[in-house]
Amino acid sequence: MKKVKKIVALSVAAVMTMGTAACGGQAPEEKQSSNQSVEQAPAEPEPAEAQVPSAEADATTDSAQNDGSYEACTLSFSWWGGESRHTATLDAVKAFEEKYPGIKVESTYGAWSGWEDSMATMFATKTAPDVNQINWNWLDSYSSDGSAFLDLNQVSDVLDLGQYSQEALGQCTVAGELQAVPVSMTGRIFYWNKSTFDKAGIDVPETLEELKSAGETFKSQLGDDYYPIALGEYDRMILMVYYLESVYGKPWVENDALQYTAEEIQEGLQFIQSLEDAHVTPSIQTITGDGAESLDKNPKWMNGTYAGIFEWDSSASKFEAALEEGQEFVVGTYFTDMGSHQGGYSKVSLAFAISESCAHPKEAAMLLNFLLNEDEGTTIMASERGIPLSAAALANCQSKGLLNAIVAEANEKVLDWVTFPLDFKFEAATLKNSDGVYYDVMAGLSYGDYDMAEAASILIDGIEEELSK
Amino acid sequence: MQKKKRLGDIMKYLVLIAVGLVMVYPLLWMIGATFKSNVEIFSGIGLIPKNPTLDGYKNAMNSYGGDINIWKAMLNTYSYVIPKVIFTLVSSTLTAYGFGRFKFKGRGILFAVLMSTLFLPQVVLNVPQFILYTKLNWVDSKLYLPLIVPTLFATDTYFVFMLVQFLRNIPKELEEAAKIDGCNVMQTLVSVIVPMLLPALVSCALFQFMWSSNDFMGPLLYVKTPARYPAAIFVKLSMDADNGFEWNRVLATSLISIVPSLVVFFLAQDQFVEGIAAGGVKG
Amino acid sequence: MGKKKFLKDNIGFLFIIPWLIGFLVFKLYPFASSLYYSFTDYQLFNGVSRYTLENYVDIFTTPKILRALKVTFQYSFITVPLKLVAALFIAYILNFKIKGVNLFRTAYYIPSILGGSVAIAVLWKAIFKDDGLLNTLLAIFGINGPSWLSDPSYALFVICLLRVWQFGSAMVIFLAALKGVPTELYEAATIDGAGKWRQFFSITVPLITPIIFYNLVTQICQAFQEFNGPYIITQGGPRNSTTLISLLIYNSAFKNYEMGMASAMAWVLFIILMVFTVIAFVSQKYWVYYSDEEGR
Repeated sequence: MKKVKKIVALSVAAVMTMGTAACGGQAPEEKQSSNQSVEQAPAEPEPAEAQVPSAEADATTDSAQNDGSYEACTLSFSWWGGESRHTATLDAVKAFEEKYPGIKVESTYGAWSGWEDSMATMFATKTAPDVNQINWNWLDSYSSDGSAFLDLNQVSDVLDLGQYSQEALGQCTVAGELQAVPVSMTGRIFYWNKSTFDKAGIDVPETLEELKSAGETFKSQLGDDYYPIALGEYDRMILMVYYLESVYGKPWVENDALQYTAEEIQEGLQFIQSLEDAHVTPSIQTITGDGAESLDKNPKWMNGTYAGIFEWDSSASKFEAALEEGQEFVVGTYFTDMGSHQGGYSKVSLAFAISESCAHPKEAAMLLNFLLNEDEGTTIMASERGIPLSAAALANCQSKGLLNAIVAEANEKVLDWVTFPLDFKFEAATLKNSDGVYYDVMAGLSYGDYDMAEAASILIDGIEEELSK
Repeated sequence: MQKKKRLGDIMKYLVLIAVGLVMVYPLLWMIGATFKSNVEIFSGIGLIPKNPTLDGYKNAMNSYGGDINIWKAMLNTYSYVIPKVIFTLVSSTLTAYGFGRFKFKGRGILFAVLMSTLFLPQVVLNVPQFILYTKLNWVDSKLYLPLIVPTLFATDTYFVFMLVQFLRNIPKELEEAAKIDGCNVMQTLVSVIVPMLLPALVSCALFQFMWSSNDFMGPLLYVKTPARYPAAIFVKLSMDADNGFEWNRVLATSLISIVPSLVVFFLAQDQFVEGIAAGGVKG
Repeated sequence: MGKKKFLKDNIGFLFIIPWLIGFLVFKLYPFASSLYYSFTDYQLFNGVSRYTLENYVDIFTTPKILRALKVTFQYSFITVPLKLVAALFIAYILNFKIKGVNLFRTAYYIPSILGGSVAIAVLWKAIFKDDGLLNTLLAIFGINGPSWLSDPSYALFVICLLRVWQFGSAMVIFLAALKGVPTELYEAATIDGAGKWRQFFSITVPLITPIIFYNLVTQICQAFQEFNGPYIITQGGPRNSTTLISLLIYNSAFKNYEMGMASAMAWVLFIILMVFTVIAFVSQKYWVYYSDEEGR
């Protein structure tokens, strides 16, 4: 029995030390980081800061690469996606390993579902892989104080930042550090199922007026079930911001403050509701009743009953592929009669970041440069992560004809049109999730639970609470 | 009387078959859907594909950079599921025996503690658990340590509680008889209790087998090397939210990965045939 | 001699030592941390900056959370009894000597094997969508079916039905229990002229009450922690009518990274389940019969 007691006592002790070790190890670190965030909060990302090192990079890149020295090491690398992205990235990694013998890359990859949970857990415990594909808003949620990701300006001698626009690099600059290198930009644009519009006897809309009148035409020519565009909750939110920016010419959020008054937002909500009232878009209840997880899986999109969407440029091929045979899918244009400004925004869709804990930042940067900027790598990666933002990669892919024509067309249209910046908090989970504020407001309005004033005040409260965090 | 009985039998079968169809339909649909195109899958819930295609199965066989394919993933799954099942059975039986048959100081409190581990949702435990396994250096272990080792210590309360309940339903006279025959507690456990518990143990084994094979969150957090991915993760590898799913392929991989569970259940259920052993011993 | 007696009195303790070690090593620390977090503003990436009771105050003052608790209660009170009755009834029938009983048993367990797979999500929606199978069938009888998925007053029903349909696990446990009911008792009862239904209520049910009790307690625990059904089918909608508390806990933990808040909600759930379980354990003496108890 004594022995038993001893074992129990020992294991209790072991757990205690483990517990305290975990607390002791973590707490000071955490405190420190939260202090940091307070100190650094006022320091806004200055575009100038990003500019200087990249200009330097231009000058030094060649010499650094000619020097070509590196240490043999093992890098861990993570991304999510589908099969073709997995295959392409694995091939590119293999090519990288061949080019730089001695560097071994351990890849870990999976599907999006659950991936964020796993990455969040690893970043929170500082055990993340060296190089990671990240979502743009992770920069804010994981590393608002710069503690999770390496400042890439430190490795700009290896990673050619001159290939990226200042604007794009600015979007990845948080707490004064360039925390990630953007892979592609994306924005929302209209897509139309031309076949349905043909059936209704009209052209695809190029102005808001045409869209509005298409609602009535669809109803009378094709039937009650037919709508010129289907807009889910989040689509409505983005479209409303696009509308308001077009009318008022000011960004949605700037300097952590919402730039629109309650009256203006009510006007925006009114605009969205007017689309529903004019049979332009089905109600949220109708779309939910279709029983599809998303519009691309909705039979009514597949067979042309819903003839339009307002979606990311990068999603074009997914929506096109979902259509039944014989339907013509076209990229729309932005409406010129929405207001006197060019509303809408583009944002970094995906980025690569190096973990702060990475022991071989230089080699990690070499991997990124290979995947993003060097011809050999970009030829393999092509548009697996959207139309490349890197000038070199884009030129290389264009010359080799590696880009999906529709996606490339949509991407070009978006980048030519949109002028407004996007605030990180726009995509905060408490707002954007299916139980978030946007869904509540847009569905509440559509179901008739809220009137305009209520909906506007819920939206404003939700956004301001998020901005004050 | 005879007629009435026959009518009753027919009714019984009608009910069984009707309910059975409702139960089996999804599996049949799934089998049919593995041969359908994306559009057809969403356009109706008929069973027979109009333009059957084998693409789903062809693509299901793809491997990712030579790292992992469906067969290897299934092998991985069962390389930790089977130890888990065995360890769970042994450790849960011992614990249940301790709680169910003996009185000792603190039993009530400890049993309450055991039960209370059922009450907290796993998601809030994920991060502290991950910290713990990181400190133990078990994350991405080749032997799936974070998945297997806890089962050595009866950490699945559902099974312990279940065995306790079954155990308490077994009359004590049997053990007393064994005691008179000179069996010690361990011998009693093995020769008297375990045979009586067999149906319950089979249920435990079945559930642990199926739940562990389906578990997604555990492997997602603790298995990082693709070559060691289990089937639950492999099934998701072909899903791409950005570019759309090949549904027939996703369904084909899911279908292949549940076949072992179906077979195991079909074989194990002989254990649930109407009470024979129990009737014999009790008399 | 004293030593021997001590050993004899505590031999049960020896058997539970593995569990105790497992609990101390693998469970205590996560449990204790989450309790500690629940009194802090712990945010996954910013750490703990202060100690507070606010999380608990928020839970009982935020309409969304209160609504989720209410929906969780509704869900559990609908699902648990239906599931138990279905499982027990079918298990009872399948315990008779019936031709092809193996096939039936497997058939009835299939939904539980399919679990929360993508196939279920697709199919379930196809059945309940506005122009889905169910409404098509209802239309044949001239009934204009409701919008099951998009009407807040029906959506919870769809989620409940999914879980009731997966009664297989409970059924398997009942089957294992029924095996322990001695056949002689049925034979004696048949001679006495008791019908199948009387046998069921007067012999079968009393003899397996410990297992009914087990299924009741574990089904309550599972129902209150249900996450998968709403997650794959409705994502908590429409209008939050299927947002169960576990879905909120998941969202605040892994979407908003508010670990403090998530932990507090989890501990409120813990208390609720503890209360129910204690009530169940206390009620045992009125309806559960254990063979190992003396004087019964």
